[in-house]
Amino acid sequence: MAAYKARLEQFKDALSKSELDIKKIRELSFQGCPFESGYRSICWKILLEHLPLKRDEWPKHLQRQRATYKQFINELIIIPGEKAYLGALADGKLEDHPLNPNPDSQWSVQFKDNDMLMQIDKDCRRLCPDLSFFQSATKFPCNEIIHAKSNVETLRKRVEHTVLKSETVGRNRLGITNMQSTRRRTSDEYALLPDGQEAHWEVVERILFIYAKLNPGLNYVQGMNEILGPIYYTFASDPDPECKEYAEADSFFCFTNLMAEIRDHFIKTLDDSDCGIGYSMTRLMEEIHIRDPCLSHRMTEQDLKPQYFAFRWITLMLSQEFPLPDVLRIWDSLFADKNRFDFLITVCCSMLILLRNEILSNDFPSNMKLLQNFPYTTVEVIKVISKAVEMLHR
Amino acid sequence: MAKKTYDLLFKLLLIGDSGVGKTCLLFRFSDDAFNTTFISTIGIDFKIKTVELGGKKIKLQIWDTAGQERFHTITTSYYRGAMGIMLVYDITNGKSFENISKWLRNIDEHANEDVEKMILGNKCDMEDKRQVPKDRGTSIAQEHGIPFLETSAKANINVDKGFMELAQAILNKTPGRDTEPKGVDIHKQETGKGKCC
Ligand SMILES: Nc1nc2c(ncn2[C@@H]2O[C@H](COP(=O)(O)OP(=O)(O)OP(=O)(O)O)[C@@H](O)[C@H]2O)c(=O)[nH]1
Ligand SMILES: [Mg+2]
Repeated sequence: MAAYKARLEQFKDALSKSELDIKKIRELSFQGCPFESGYRSICWKILLEHLPLKRDEWPKHLQRQRATYKQFINELIIIPGEKAYLGALADGKLEDHPLNPNPDSQWSVQFKDNDMLMQIDKDCRRLCPDLSFFQSATKFPCNEIIHAKSNVETLRKRVEHTVLKSETVGRNRLGITNMQSTRRRTSDEYALLPDGQEAHWEVVERILFIYAKLNPGLNYVQGMNEILGPIYYTFASDPDPECKEYAEADSFFCFTNLMAEIRDHFIKTLDDSDCGIGYSMTRLMEEIHIRDPCLSHRMTEQDLKPQYFAFRWITLMLSQEFPLPDVLRIWDSLFADKNRFDFLITVCCSMLILLRNEILSNDFPSNMKLLQNFPYTTVEVIKVISKAVEMLHR
Repeated sequence: MAKKTYDLLFKLLLIGDSGVGKTCLLFRFSDDAFNTTFISTIGIDFKIKTVELGGKKIKLQIWDTAGQERFHTITTSYYRGAMGIMLVYDITNGKSFENISKWLRNIDEHANEDVEKMILGNKCDMEDKRQVPKDRGTSIAQEHGIPFLETSAKANINVDKGFMELAQAILNKTPGRDTEPKGVDIHKQETGKGKCC
């Protein structure tokens, strides 16, 4: 307890300097950031270069960034949403706008990116299903959107209309045009909070949508939701009210900065290059080969390819392998790693080595099960990290 | 460990667009349950189920792949070893049906020539949202000479039947199926407890 208090003091000390010592903050964060006093959020923002090192620049900088984000929402969601409506109006197609059975109706022409939005939507609804957090309403919905005039096609409306429209089209193909039943709200699967409220997953959806629009070369790739989720969760459940209030904008920038470092893993054409996921998996297996030749031999012999498990481990930075609190702890160290993201490979290596005895004696299917469902209740995250740290020094 | 608990090992692969219900179908088959809250599959997933067919114990090793285009380089590398491929679309999603021909081309390109195939039109419990008439499924299947079923992972319709028929088709052409299997890829190091290099 006393030791923990002392740690909190250290964080307080380091974070109150007017010129932050990044080395010190890395060193402290590497051991795990406390949730108390919002230290984790602050440290992540510093480590992900969302906050500058000069403390007195913070208010102005944050203000500017948050205003920029607001502008993105306006330019990428609200204005196109209005245009779509006006277009439909000009075409005289407004009458049946939401249920327009004509696939050429203006609003669908406006939105070439509907497929992407639908994919993001599917993935965000299913974000961290074990946690009620993402399904619950945020206290800080985007005002511009929830108070948007009824003539703005918000993301929520777009998703609804796309679902309804495709149903209608499907019906027409069948020759049954039953407008009555399509007008009915879609089933429980698409249940939403009432107007004027937004669930946290909807905020995550908006961030991903804006990110994808701003990064057309990368677009949206499944799994990005699992990278953004823990960051947004951390900021949106911070003890500091201001941090909570601006969780959306701040996590957008942190996510963007983080993606700048890891996006190669998400790009298919780089799979076989020496910066893509293929290379990272090879590095992991080479590391195993050096540290535990016996284990490495066994894995090769059994054809336990890294694609079967490490693809997910590395691409998602382990966010699907551990429960959320453990993921946050691992990310403290990953973000603090100055040779990003070498330490991720070391952690993966440590996970394998901690399971070595089982891997050596199991058959192939048992090993697959083991590696796809890492036994975090017996091989705890603390053990994984301390083994990894030990490996750093050897 | 040394005692083999099955006679044959079949490797199956599930493919199809994201969200059509591949993971749910597999979960229904392996655990006889339905869960609406699966997260999307990243890369590849794996399940084992042992079934009895023609008096033989058959171990099914089933690989569940991610549907999104990005993962294709990772997932197509599994086509080669597969003995059976389950191609899934969603009857409430026209696009996923249109993509069936794209998936078939993928199979032609990457899988063994003699791989057994099966097409499943999933989510047939949602009749009120149907976009793909059943006869469209039937006709594309006939065109390619592939068996076809409409299924529901949620309502447990035809799920076991689909997997069992695919396994049966593989069994039917397994050489020497009355004795020890030959030409069947049984994983080599099934035993070898803790054997070190
Ligand atoms: N009504 C109904 N819904 C289903 C059925 N099967 C799956 N679903 C729903 O469809 C959604 C997607 O299911 P998944 O099994 O995760 O889809 P997938 O094909 O594995 O998707 P990826 O992993 O992204 O490629 C989930 O929300 C399921 O609840 C079904 O038979 N009936
Ligand atoms: Mg899946």
